[in-house]
Amino acid sequence: MIDQLPMLTLIAFSPLIGVLILLFVSKENGRAIKVIGIATTMIPLLLSAWLYADFLTRTAVGFQYSEQHEWLRIALNHEMLGDQIKSFIYEFKYNLVADGLSLPLVFLTALVGSMAALASVLIKKRWKTYFILFLLLEIGMFGVFLAQDLFLFFLFFEVTLVTTFFLIGIWGYEKSVQAANKFLIYNGIGSAVMLIAFFIIVNTAGYTQENGPDGLVISYSGDLHAIMNNLFSDTNAMVHVQPDPQQFNPFFLSNTMKWTLFIMLVVAFGIKLPIFPFHTWMLKVHMEAPPSVVMIHSGILLKMGAYGLIRFGILLFPEQAKGWAVVLAVLGVVNILYGAALAFVQKDFKLVLAYSSISHMGIVLLGIAALNPTGLGGAVFQMVSHGLISALMFLIVGCLYERTKTTTLSELGGLAASIPFISGILLVAGMASLGLPGLSGFVGEFLSFLGLFATMKGIATVGILGIILAAVYVLRAVLRITFGKRPESMAGFRDARLVEAVPMIVLVAFIVLLGVYPAVLSHPLNQSLIGFDQLIQTLNLKIGG
Amino acid sequence: MVSDYSQYAWLIPLFPLLSFLILTAFGRQTKEFGVYISIVAGFISFVIALLIFFERLGGNMENYTWNQFEWLKVGDFSLSMGFEVTNLNALMLVIVTLVSLVVNIYSKGYMHDDDRITVFFSYVALFTFSMLGLVISVNVLMFYIFWELVGVCSFLLVGFWYFKPEAKAAAKKAFIVTRIGDVGLFIGMLLLFWYMPAHALDFTSIHNAIMDAKIPGNIVTLIAILIFVGAIGKSGQFPLHTWLPDAMEGPTPISALIHAATMVAAGVYLVARTYDIFSASPTAMTVVAVIGGFTAIFAATIGVAQNDIKRILAYSTVSQLGYMMLALGIGAYTAGIFHLFTHAFFKALLFLGSGSVIHAVHTQDIHEMGGLAKKMKVTTWTFAIGALALSGIVPFSGFWSKDAILSAAWHGHPVLFWVGLIAAFFTAFYMSRLFFCVFAGKAPNGQKAHESPFSMTMPLVVLAVLALLAGFVFTPFNPWMGTWLTGDAVDEDANWAVMILSTLVGFAGIGLGWLMYGKRSIPVDFISGKAPWLHTLLYRKYFIDELYDVVFVRSLKRIGQWFNRFDDYVVDGAVRALARGGFAIGQLGTRLQNGQVQSYGLIMLLGLLILALVLAGGRFI
Repeated sequence: MIDQLPMLTLIAFSPLIGVLILLFVSKENGRAIKVIGIATTMIPLLLSAWLYADFLTRTAVGFQYSEQHEWLRIALNHEMLGDQIKSFIYEFKYNLVADGLSLPLVFLTALVGSMAALASVLIKKRWKTYFILFLLLEIGMFGVFLAQDLFLFFLFFEVTLVTTFFLIGIWGYEKSVQAANKFLIYNGIGSAVMLIAFFIIVNTAGYTQENGPDGLVISYSGDLHAIMNNLFSDTNAMVHVQPDPQQFNPFFLSNTMKWTLFIMLVVAFGIKLPIFPFHTWMLKVHMEAPPSVVMIHSGILLKMGAYGLIRFGILLFPEQAKGWAVVLAVLGVVNILYGAALAFVQKDFKLVLAYSSISHMGIVLLGIAALNPTGLGGAVFQMVSHGLISALMFLIVGCLYERTKTTTLSELGGLAASIPFISGILLVAGMASLGLPGLSGFVGEFLSFLGLFATMKGIATVGILGIILAAVYVLRAVLRITFGKRPESMAGFRDARLVEAVPMIVLVAFIVLLGVYPAVLSHPLNQSLIGFDQLIQTLNLKIGG
Repeated sequence: MVSDYSQYAWLIPLFPLLSFLILTAFGRQTKEFGVYISIVAGFISFVIALLIFFERLGGNMENYTWNQFEWLKVGDFSLSMGFEVTNLNALMLVIVTLVSLVVNIYSKGYMHDDDRITVFFSYVALFTFSMLGLVISVNVLMFYIFWELVGVCSFLLVGFWYFKPEAKAAAKKAFIVTRIGDVGLFIGMLLLFWYMPAHALDFTSIHNAIMDAKIPGNIVTLIAILIFVGAIGKSGQFPLHTWLPDAMEGPTPISALIHAATMVAAGVYLVARTYDIFSASPTAMTVVAVIGGFTAIFAATIGVAQNDIKRILAYSTVSQLGYMMLALGIGAYTAGIFHLFTHAFFKALLFLGSGSVIHAVHTQDIHEMGGLAKKMKVTTWTFAIGALALSGIVPFSGFWSKDAILSAAWHGHPVLFWVGLIAAFFTAFYMSRLFFCVFAGKAPNGQKAHESPFSMTMPLVVLAVLALLAGFVFTPFNPWMGTWLTGDAVDEDANWAVMILSTLVGFAGIGLGWLMYGKRSIPVDFISGKAPWLHTLLYRKYFIDELYDVVFVRSLKRIGQWFNRFDDYVVDGAVRALARGGFAIGQLGTRLQNGQVQSYGLIMLLGLLILALVLAGGRFI
């Protein structure tokens, strides 16, 4: 049954249902708006859970779900090029694919999306606009992880940018407008760089010519499969033909150009990830955005950077990635240690979490830099795990702020006495964050370091020291909040309400599940990583020979 | 021989886990009932552990290994989970379940008035589960997972009274300091993975790989030392010993659990479990022996100058663990495990005894106690047995195990032998100091003490019996335990010289303690009066904590603050400057679009002019 349904489209666009309904609901009717908003996010959650469960039963190597439709065909003037050419087009496809790399992230998006929707009950104003933007953002995120056409990907990417901008700016704390601006400028620059890189890729690696019945058919395609086919399988593709004085070839990608493109992609996605020194924008976002939006932001949006880096940076330019593996690893270690040292001295809990995100994303970078299936698997584990943990953390931040009206560490304390449930969950989240085995954080860390250890022992060892620092900064912050003497101002709070407790328990459940039985994630991953492994091996042969 | 019971070894950790889950889910509602759940679960586990133990005593059994549960497979990495029962494991299972059961029963009385008693019991259950899981682990990663869980449980329990700032600090310290060690184990594990044939991590494959010398020698040394770093952290060996005495902030039954059967035993057990790797590297063995020997004497000297009853016992644990490491390091495998075995009983006994004392007098300073012998008969007698066992007085269990270690050192390790012997003197001395201060003499004014309830004294009696008798399983006259553990026949002659020496030393220590603190015929400030610096040095624990504070904690804070400024001014500053630049260009643009038609015309004209010039210029190039 699942094969007959356009599952990917259904998942990606099901939030539209909610948007349409919300348009007809009075903006005063807060309760209805919240119910509709939350209920809508359950649709993609159920669908993606179903798809994920189905995927677990598939054993074929390299299995993926895909949906492909003609979408945008821009005809160019073929007569200009001479008689033998019959067609000359730009072709962008509506090409959605869920493989072992994207499906876990799609499910994560759906899950964190629903939990953040629940946490949105803490939002105090303009619910209608909020939920419409929220659902649009969710569509954008699904699209980013599913799209396998460069143009389509870019479109979805921009959707997330614009919606997040408003969500931060309108519903954030005091300096939220400033934070939103910074977010937009930084990510706008990233998008611009990405767009230029994509444009060049479409116009070189995306170029194909075929002999049709009436003559040559020329197309520029944004389809990732066509591009990869040209780059790796079809050795006669124009992208490989060296230009010489007799024949000019604008489609050729020189090594220099490949390097340029690779570095552009690293920058574009590095801003999102974020890689040091492009991280300062996200500090502001963590500080100023409303907790439910930070759940999405830290939980999902940062992962788009890592995902893009793998999908476009590494998979399209593996030789360059190999050449830069050490650079990426060093950047990863810098992220880990720099983030950790800074997290240790922050005065505000939200900033502790922001810097800890930087530190954790460093581990993702390390896994990627390993350039072997183990490391990449670790990177994806870490992405999913950090998505769950940071969503949980900011959910707790939201609940704390509701009660204490502050997130400054020095004003908090002794909360284990007044709100034991939330404090307990915070402790679990902290333990997950510092990589306690049995919880999800450990598996990602372990695999990333294990993968990197095969290639760069020294750098990996320095990175591992970060797990001591993680314990130091996490315990400092968490114990500051929950342990110790309770100040007068911290008494008389109510423990978690049902609507707060449910998402907490759900997130903890998934964190435990991934930690105790990681095979649920490694099975789909493996199917994609085998393909990746082959890619790397052929490359090694090419480079070696 | 068919294993009837070993295949059910996985049930042993399961019961404490169930009890943890039940208590966590229904926690506060269960109250008294929750306590019984925990005790019953502990009892069932203990019975199964005993069945397995006796089954393995019966015959020459193969190790039982089940390794079928595929846990994770990514790229080159593939790992199955399972469990393994060897003779060593079986022995550990009995020790852990027994001590845990005893602690559970004791805590029912000790923690009776605490409103979070079910939380306490759930943590204890989780702690027991983790330690049991660690014991039956089938591969190194599984071991590491439970290893860390043991660490986090001890963190939770040390910080159980979370509102006390000292408890908070101690819990944090316990976690972080042991984590430093864990990182060593972690790296060792990664190294092992990449050097093992077929990337296997299970203990059987490791054993085979080492036997076939599949791993280069220097790598084996490196791996062994990294693993040992982990053990240093958990077992409180120098230089990562600082957390263990501070961990006294937890409830006293927990101290018994940590010091006897779970947390600190894990380190020694780790070395024993990966003993193949250590045996293959003489360098690593030397490191283990030297660190162990040094820690033994180092901690014993600190113990002499402490006033807190639990702290004295804590330093004695550090010191005794040093003995075990020393034994393992000089190749006396059985002696090391044997000492772990006897120590578990008499140390649990001493801690629970001290808990009984604290329960009665509400202070931990031994100088504020006295004359308890008359009021607390059971506690006094059992404590005396524990103290004599710890001091290594014949025929108590500690004598036999310490004697086994010293005899092993006697052959070929003269320095370590004398170190061990001197440490034994200090041990006997501080124990007799403690005993006479607390139980002899007169009670301080107005102190009213009474014997603890039955649920607390009963465990003391059980442990006292074990502390008295446990030594007889491995004496020079009857060394069957060695044969059973290692599979080789041990033909150890009774080393009379060592026995007599260590007995003399033990009596000398006790005697000196009695003269100073019991009979008071030698003034207490006999030494500290003449060399106050020495007393300060020992009392302040050689200033190690202060040193670490300056070198690590403060420097990390300073680095963090530097980075913070750097992040704010340089990294973000650059961004702000860029943004300002962009803004300035934008403003320039807006100035151009000022709505004045004349200026537009002027710019247009200028543009045309430039264009014309360019075109004209192009013609000449």
